[in-house]
Amino acid sequence: MKKKSLAVLLAGTMSAALFAGCGGSGASTSSSAGNSKSEAASESTGTTTTASKDAIRLVNGKIEIDEQLKAAAKKYQEETGQEVSIESLGGGVDISGQLKSYYAAGNMPDMFVIGGDGDYANWTGKCADLSDCAFVKDTDFGYTDDETGKVVGFPYAVEGYGITYNADILEKAGIDPTTLVNYDAYKAAFEKIDGMKEELGLSAVCSVAAESGQMYWSTGNHLFGYYLSGGLERDDNTYFDMALEGKVDTDRMSQYADFIGLLYQYSDQQTLISGTYDDQLALWAQGKAAFITEGNWIDPSLPDYNVSFNCGIAPLAFTKEDMTSVLADSPSWWCVYGESDKVDACKAFLDYLATTEEGQTCLVKDAGMISPYKSSTVEPESPLAVSLKTYVNEGKTSSWAWANMPEGIAQNAIGLVYESYAKGDIDKDQFVTMMQSSIADYVANK
Amino acid sequence: MNTAAKKSLSLGMLVVGAVLMVAALILDFMGTKGAMRGYLLIAGALLIIVGLLKLPNKKHTKIVNGLFLFPMVFTFGVTVMIPFILGIIYSFTDWNGVSVTQFVGLENYITMFRQLDFVYSFILTLLFTIVNIVSVNIAGFCLALLCTSKIKGKNFFRAAYFLPNLIGGIVLGYVWQFIFNKVFTTVFVGSNSMLTDANLAILAILFVNTWQYAGYIMMIYVTGLQSVPSDVLEASNVDGASPLTTLFKIKIPMIANTFTVCIFLTLVNSFKLFDLNLSITNGAPSRVLGDKIIQSTEFLALNIYKTAIGKNDYALGQTKAVVFFVILAIVSLTQVSISKKKEVEL
Repeated sequence: MKKKSLAVLLAGTMSAALFAGCGGSGASTSSSAGNSKSEAASESTGTTTTASKDAIRLVNGKIEIDEQLKAAAKKYQEETGQEVSIESLGGGVDISGQLKSYYAAGNMPDMFVIGGDGDYANWTGKCADLSDCAFVKDTDFGYTDDETGKVVGFPYAVEGYGITYNADILEKAGIDPTTLVNYDAYKAAFEKIDGMKEELGLSAVCSVAAESGQMYWSTGNHLFGYYLSGGLERDDNTYFDMALEGKVDTDRMSQYADFIGLLYQYSDQQTLISGTYDDQLALWAQGKAAFITEGNWIDPSLPDYNVSFNCGIAPLAFTKEDMTSVLADSPSWWCVYGESDKVDACKAFLDYLATTEEGQTCLVKDAGMISPYKSSTVEPESPLAVSLKTYVNEGKTSSWAWANMPEGIAQNAIGLVYESYAKGDIDKDQFVTMMQSSIADYVANK
Repeated sequence: MNTAAKKSLSLGMLVVGAVLMVAALILDFMGTKGAMRGYLLIAGALLIIVGLLKLPNKKHTKIVNGLFLFPMVFTFGVTVMIPFILGIIYSFTDWNGVSVTQFVGLENYITMFRQLDFVYSFILTLLFTIVNIVSVNIAGFCLALLCTSKIKGKNFFRAAYFLPNLIGGIVLGYVWQFIFNKVFTTVFVGSNSMLTDANLAILAILFVNTWQYAGYIMMIYVTGLQSVPSDVLEASNVDGASPLTTLFKIKIPMIANTFTVCIFLTLVNSFKLFDLNLSITNGAPSRVLGDKIIQSTEFLALNIYKTAIGKNDYALGQTKAVVFFVILAIVSLTQVSISKKKEVEL
């Protein structure tokens, strides 16, 4: 009998392994060592192959501009014969984790995206020096290695966000978007639009999503960014430095909590607590909400919804005093992998994108982004890019300090506080204290 | 050729082979590019094998056995053993996924148990595992009884119940997420999604996992039930045993070994639950515990993943994985040894 049970056990585990493989499920974690390790082991063999040997490979972190980049790469190949393959990651994919496994597998791309200091710390010393490229003199937004002072990151765009409004609805409601610069103005506007919901065809005033599993980046990074640097000069890091020490300015956070509470109150409740990015965007883009807490990156998605209304970006002005600036910065940079044998080809491609009209047309016109390059004569056409460009031109921008917060803090700490507040599990005072304790805990454990 | 010459020839081959292999490895560690080192390594290995075979002694069968085993042993070593050992080493360092700068001793192991989220995930996973074993096995066993009874179309039922298991966990998770978030809230107008409540969200994962896995477990029970000898069943029928008595006194004791297998499989499966967890909730919603907020549906595997990938703390994640392995090994071996005592010897 013993033999039989052993046989059944063996047969069972074998078929389990079979189906686990079939389903591509997570069942393969049995070797607790995990997958990345086995890739590390194969590193020494170094026998990975890429699609085409001469192509330079770019890992792009903005899946929204995947098509446009591929079009530009094709044009570049027609002109110079150099093939460029674009690999876009995004929509919830962990990019730096993916890059690490590429690195471990000896399959590192020639160019890859970094999001700021946290990402760059992983690749210090492994990025090629780009100081001699033509684009460097043409922009202030390049990413510089703090120690060596050399430019290592190529800025492909400037991005900004705040509260994006549907200008047509605001006009019908008789609200001038330029007056939305403080808490009271927003409160009055929300109340007014809320009262006119039926005649404007709205289901809610705002479209906000605060679910912590998938939308933590919107709340824990973007919205929180306004607490850190909203209304401040670009080089003012007061609240950011405090946060890194685990401290929170109670007065500012209290005002901020009031404003978030106001946003939540006038939001579509389903979208608020369980909505995804698509739900949030659809609600606003279909004209069922007047405001959305996203930035100019939704521009390329607007044609999918046949958006015909005018729109613009207003600052998320949570303070009693006027706040006229929006948060705008270079969201991420492209680095060239220093150990690649195609560094020069990469540099040529980057210069092509930055300094030629064709390259700029791709980034600015087709992808709906804002050029960080002074010499660029291509003006943006998409509505939010135009709106943001006016802030950039007038110098009314604050930095993206949140991008340099400890890695994972939005997903594992701050985003949770936003969600609990949205569900009503905690009130405004608890929001302030929990924000304080969550940040303090996270920073202490880092 | 005499024995001495044979011997010296094969010894020569062994030495040359060893030198070639060592040279290839040194070339590789020095980071030389080029494919030469690969050929050197293979040539060296072949020389050693031939040299061993030519050696004039009587252990040829052993060498041949070893040769046949080699592909499997090598693959197992490269894909399981080496990563496993490396993983244990990494857990004592400050590895960040790219490089190691220093050894930190037991620091990672101490930090881990100081973190509320890890302790919570640990308890949650244990509780979930217990409930899930019960629910999956009861559901699977009932389905198996149904599929071995005399109802019409039982082959269709068998296939239908098994089907969810063939869909990948990630796809299935997103489909169910849609159902929980959109379909249920539309059908029950005004209700909030189950996935926004900390307790209901765990229940949702439990439900989907049972739904997915019960069909698979059912198949094993069906095999077990079919192996019960029909003469024993007939004899009990003649003695006037009711179907219920037959089930509890004959069928269940006779297939106790199947229970061992099924409970073992569900235990390991629920302990390692990852794909459904990631796709249905990804740790959300939040749960307020005193003055702290944590993710309410973050099971151990997801906690490990998020520590390494999300927080970019690869060493700590690896440490958790080592502990995860130890716990899983202890729990499943204990379960198998207990269940085995209950099995009937025919």
